[in-house]
Amino acid sequence: MQALHRVLHVEDDPSIQEVARIALEVVGGMQVASCDDGQSALEKAAEWQPDLILLDVMMPGIDGPTTLARLREQEATREIPVIFMTAKVQPNEIEHYRSIGGLDVVIKPFDPMTLASQLREIWERKDER
Amino acid sequence: MSDEDVRTRLAALRVQYAERLGNDLQTLIAQARELAARQRSVEPAALETLRQGLHRIAGSAGTFGYPALGQEAREMELWVQTVLETAVAPTAPMLSALGDRLCDSYRRLDTQAPTLAEPNAGYPPGGEERPIRVGVMGADACGALEQALSGFGYACRRSATPDEWREWQPDVAVIDTASLSAASWQACTAVVPGARRILLSADGSFDARLQAVRDGADGFFTHPVDVPALERRLRHLVSQPQQDPYRVLIVDDDTELAEHFRLTLKAAAGIESRVIEHPSDVLRGLREFVPDLVLIDINMPGCSGPELARLIRFDDDWLRIPLIYLSAESDAQRQAQALAQAGDDFLVKPISDVALTAAVTARAQRSRQLSQALARDGLTGLIKHPAIKELIEIEQSRTQRSGAEACVVMIDIDCFKSINDTYGHGTGDYVIRLLANLLRQRLRRVDHIGRYGGEEFVAVLPACSLDNAREAIERIRESFAQLECVAGEAVFHVTFSAGVASTLDWTDAGALLEAADRAMYEAKQGGRNQVRVARDATPQT
Repeated sequence: MQALHRVLHVEDDPSIQEVARIALEVVGGMQVASCDDGQSALEKAAEWQPDLILLDVMMPGIDGPTTLARLREQEATREIPVIFMTAKVQPNEIEHYRSIGGLDVVIKPFDPMTLASQLREIWERKDER
Repeated sequence: MSDEDVRTRLAALRVQYAERLGNDLQTLIAQARELAARQRSVEPAALETLRQGLHRIAGSAGTFGYPALGQEAREMELWVQTVLETAVAPTAPMLSALGDRLCDSYRRLDTQAPTLAEPNAGYPPGGEERPIRVGVMGADACGALEQALSGFGYACRRSATPDEWREWQPDVAVIDTASLSAASWQACTAVVPGARRILLSADGSFDARLQAVRDGADGFFTHPVDVPALERRLRHLVSQPQQDPYRVLIVDDDTELAEHFRLTLKAAAGIESRVIEHPSDVLRGLREFVPDLVLIDINMPGCSGPELARLIRFDDDWLRIPLIYLSAESDAQRQAQALAQAGDDFLVKPISDVALTAAVTARAQRSRQLSQALARDGLTGLIKHPAIKELIEIEQSRTQRSGAEACVVMIDIDCFKSINDTYGHGTGDYVIRLLANLLRQRLRRVDHIGRYGGEEFVAVLPACSLDNAREAIERIRESFAQLECVAGEAVFHVTFSAGVASTLDWTDAGALLEAADRAMYEAKQGGRNQVRVARDATPQT
């Protein structure tokens, strides 16, 4: 299986963006690009072709689920796996995000020291789904 | 880049975040207050803005070391969301209550040091954790209670009006219901909804106790109040929220289902789980993860659930941990057979998320309580001798790996025998608890404090330099010497001597403790009531 290397992080909160960048780049040795909103994520994903998109659920403008739907409509981004990130933690919501095509859900707050390994775990299991 | 560098960068971000958090909370308070003050109805767009602000905090505060605040923001967000979804216009008092709650969060921000998994800094200069605040309300007799609790090191204040309570913001409210009308004290507790409540009553009947439960009491005492017992309850109440999340080991070859359980427990109750697919990995899982509870699938290839449970029970270390079977087996007789072999209970699959969470939480809580009761000293609630020795070893090996410095402190109350002889053993116990409380309040959350022997204490201070440790203990020594101890009519002062040693100077846990002990002995020789550092003692060769 191809290793997880390039991650596009879509998140409107700059502090969380910065922590996730350290968590993935420095701790996890990945390459990270960040976007502030769903619209710019659609463009960046098509151009940069990340291995994975880490997508915040609730953002001003287009929210996470809508962004995912649009990613699936674009030829260039149709196949890119998406993991949702959210502070919403009802178990049925997790199921919901999976059912609409999310690979899995990472719950906020996350631990910066283990975020990368958490993503890798999900990544490695993705073909079993 | 090393772990240490990462932590340094994260720490810098945390400082930035703390500043922003204060500003964000102020903005939200202003928004809520503004909405509450409006005469006309509140438009959904304004509520949506409020909700987004709360959502941001809910999602980020925990990552930056403010998990409690994140949780509060999440609760408030859900409230606003419910209001939005039901399309019922929120009333001014509702919005004003939201503003008050935000205000409470903002005030606590100043006193809440971020809780970090690994501390980087030592003690900030002059830095001490905020003492636990107690509000006392009731007849004049409560003055004695206030004094006694102050003597135990709590910040205590008699407060009688809602304004006084709002200003004092106590962690615990002690209310003498015998001398007050329900309306008068409830008006006061209403302004501090987060405070735990201990109710005092002249009536110890079942009905009075039931009423206390219905009044939201967390503790109930009858006159004349057993002050040490009340103090124990108080300490118990305020130490609860600091608990680490419960930990559950799930042994199940159906990894997808196990993963679902893991996520459910995490999401619904913040429980940390680790999934083990192969039964043969269970002992390693137990050792590494040290769970509060184990969930075991009953049918696994190569090894059945009951076999695995018996295997776990071979080891005395895991006797205290509940082993719960997860099974599609609903036949009561076969369940009984499995339980007869080993294991503590059955959960039948399919199980709803709610039922799973409730069952696991209740048992994990009980298991944690038992473990703590076993590892803690009954008089002081501090860690017992064997457990603190183990912690010294853990800390020692951790510092060897990371190169960080940790310190061990040995503390001994001066002339304790003469206190016992003069005032009796009850007073001796009181002095021991007094010092235990002071240590608990003045040391950081990450520090470990143990009762080593009769009047001897050991503290383990991770990520702390020798100088910082000495200064911190020096300040505690000064405070302790100033505390007034009361025994009947007599008022007296007690002191302690202490020795501090660093993991940088002694690389063996036993030698480290001996060095601290030697330094403490030197302090005694030097005239008592002082702190000595182990590098003053003869260093090891």
